[in-house]
Amino acid sequence: MTDSNQTVFADATQVHGDAVIEMNHVDKLFGAFQALTDINLKVARQEVVVIIGPSGSGKSTLIRCINRLEEHDAGRILVDGIELSEDVKNIQEIRRETGMVFQSFNLFPHLTVIDNITLAPRQVRRMPKKEAEALAMELLERVRIPEQAKKYPLQLSGGQQQRVAIARSLAMKPKVMLFDEPTSALDPEMVGEVLDTMKDLAREGMTMIVVTHEMGFAREVADRVVFMADGQIVEVGTPDHFFQNPQEDRTKLFLSQIL
Amino acid sequence: MTVEAPVFTRGQLATRWARQNLFRTPFDAVLSVVFGGLGLYLIFRAILFVFVNARWGIISSNLKLLMIGRWPGDHVLRVAVAVAVLALWGGLIGGWIAGRQRRANISAAAAMRTTQRIGDLARRFGLMIGTVVLLLFLTETAGPWLTAIGMGVAGFAGYWIGRQIGRRTLGKWVGRLLVLVLASIPIATYFYMVSAHPLGEWEGFLFNMTAAAAGIILCFPLGVLLALGRRSKLPLLKSMSIAYIEFVRGSPLFVLLLLANVSLEFFVPESLAPSKPIRAIVTFTLFTAAYLAEIVRGGLQSVPRGQEEAAKALGLSPTKQMFLIVLPQALRNVIPAQIGQFISLFKDTTLAGAALGILDLLAGAEAITSQPDFVGQGLIIESLVFVAFMFWVGSFTMSRESQRLEKRLGVGVR
Repeated sequence: MTDSNQTVFADATQVHGDAVIEMNHVDKLFGAFQALTDINLKVARQEVVVIIGPSGSGKSTLIRCINRLEEHDAGRILVDGIELSEDVKNIQEIRRETGMVFQSFNLFPHLTVIDNITLAPRQVRRMPKKEAEALAMELLERVRIPEQAKKYPLQLSGGQQQRVAIARSLAMKPKVMLFDEPTSALDPEMVGEVLDTMKDLAREGMTMIVVTHEMGFAREVADRVVFMADGQIVEVGTPDHFFQNPQEDRTKLFLSQIL
Repeated sequence: MTVEAPVFTRGQLATRWARQNLFRTPFDAVLSVVFGGLGLYLIFRAILFVFVNARWGIISSNLKLLMIGRWPGDHVLRVAVAVAVLALWGGLIGGWIAGRQRRANISAAAAMRTTQRIGDLARRFGLMIGTVVLLLFLTETAGPWLTAIGMGVAGFAGYWIGRQIGRRTLGKWVGRLLVLVLASIPIATYFYMVSAHPLGEWEGFLFNMTAAAAGIILCFPLGVLLALGRRSKLPLLKSMSIAYIEFVRGSPLFVLLLLANVSLEFFVPESLAPSKPIRAIVTFTLFTAAYLAEIVRGGLQSVPRGQEEAAKALGLSPTKQMFLIVLPQALRNVIPAQIGQFISLFKDTTLAGAALGILDLLAGAEAITSQPDFVGQGLIIESLVFVAFMFWVGSFTMSRESQRLEKRLGVGVR
């Protein structure tokens, strides 16, 4: 028993050439409630992983552990070869390398759109103001709202705000982008524009982990789909395999409820 | 076919408004008549007192004492110069902000015509300017007139220069130098004044205003630090902050002022003991900081958690998360409460007279009723009304400016 565990452990922690994120036997507790149980997940460079599952299944908690917005209680998490631990320096380095997009955008309402985007490059990467602003304008072009640069976030529509939030994360030139239900707070007619931006990103080769309820997006863009329930990863597969031919009963039940 | 809108005369409209708002039900009508009558009666009595019965001679012959106390006659010029310099300073800052906003094209003022701008200025500072003019008519010498004119000219000149600077793009170092110059003007003014007459002997309304200004400036950083301390994860810092805040908020300010007056001698030798106004300022600062800390704590709690999370996710250090993201929003959310606390500090400076024996505006106003010319004439009412009016003008102006600030910083608030 010990022996086989040892092997699995050794195998899982071995740094593969192109694994950007590795989670090995990760547990997370909220008090007595076990939010994550024995999570093992590897994400390769340029891979798009979509996490789906019923609410309360631990999807958000999982990706929030990756940049230490939640602290995991057991197991190991490596981002780009850096282990996530108590070490503040490691945490800061991992946060610099991972961008995160939130369900409620979390733009800074007291700063203009362009200041939202230039803040982190200037404060964290010490980029000169001119350079940061040029970068911000380039990113705003990419998310197709350069004309909104001087406005304040709350003067924009939800879809525009979420695209600014994506641009803000990209300004740090992250190696991985984490999306925590990026379209759940949007009015239906604005979901498309945000998903299009995310598709562009995937096409450009960004490594992405996306928690979402948009099955169309999962089918079209994901390299792998991860299905979670009750804090555990139940099933992992390519979109085709996952949607056409699910193996687990729990997955079948979930798919029958939403499709 | 079209329905013609009924046309009412002004009188008909007034009648309709009165019927709907004052006499809707019999009970409304009774209330309106009783309170309307009472109100009119009180206004009538007040006007009668102020313009007919009151003997304002006691104020006009003591105006200098009430305003600047026993400031030595040789150095009164310094007060005039200081006031003009501060007007210039205020103008510079106001103009600079206006110029910058104009450049950034976000200013409502940029769209205003000159007449509108003057109207805006009149609404903001009309009460204060009116009060100054009123006081000028009570004076018997030319000095105050010249000072007021100097203030006006300096203020406008400062505004104009500030706007010119604000419209230009400044280099990083020029900008820093400018901030340094702006910050040093009031400090230099202070030293210019104390070199003639030490702070320990400042009296009159000058003392009230100085103590309030110093208290506000000093208590602000302390209050913010205490609020942060109270939320800190370090147990010692946290419990010390809580102990401080709860102790100070649990004691009457008047008692703390009395303590400041007598207890310092236990700790420092008499020769080193600070003067009374300094003790007052320190007490005001420490007292208001505790209240401010609770206000700021409320502000910190009003900022959604997502803000801090987004800042974390971007890799900002904990200090930057707080000072660039959370604190600016927190402070903006509690502007009304903060200004309210500052207003109450301004008014509470009158306690220093009774507690520490400083001849501030209130103590001075009481003292002059015992002058040989006025003793036994029951002029205390005139004195107190004057004091109340002066504080009301200051407080009301602050309160109006707070609403303005709130509106201006409200750009982009949900």
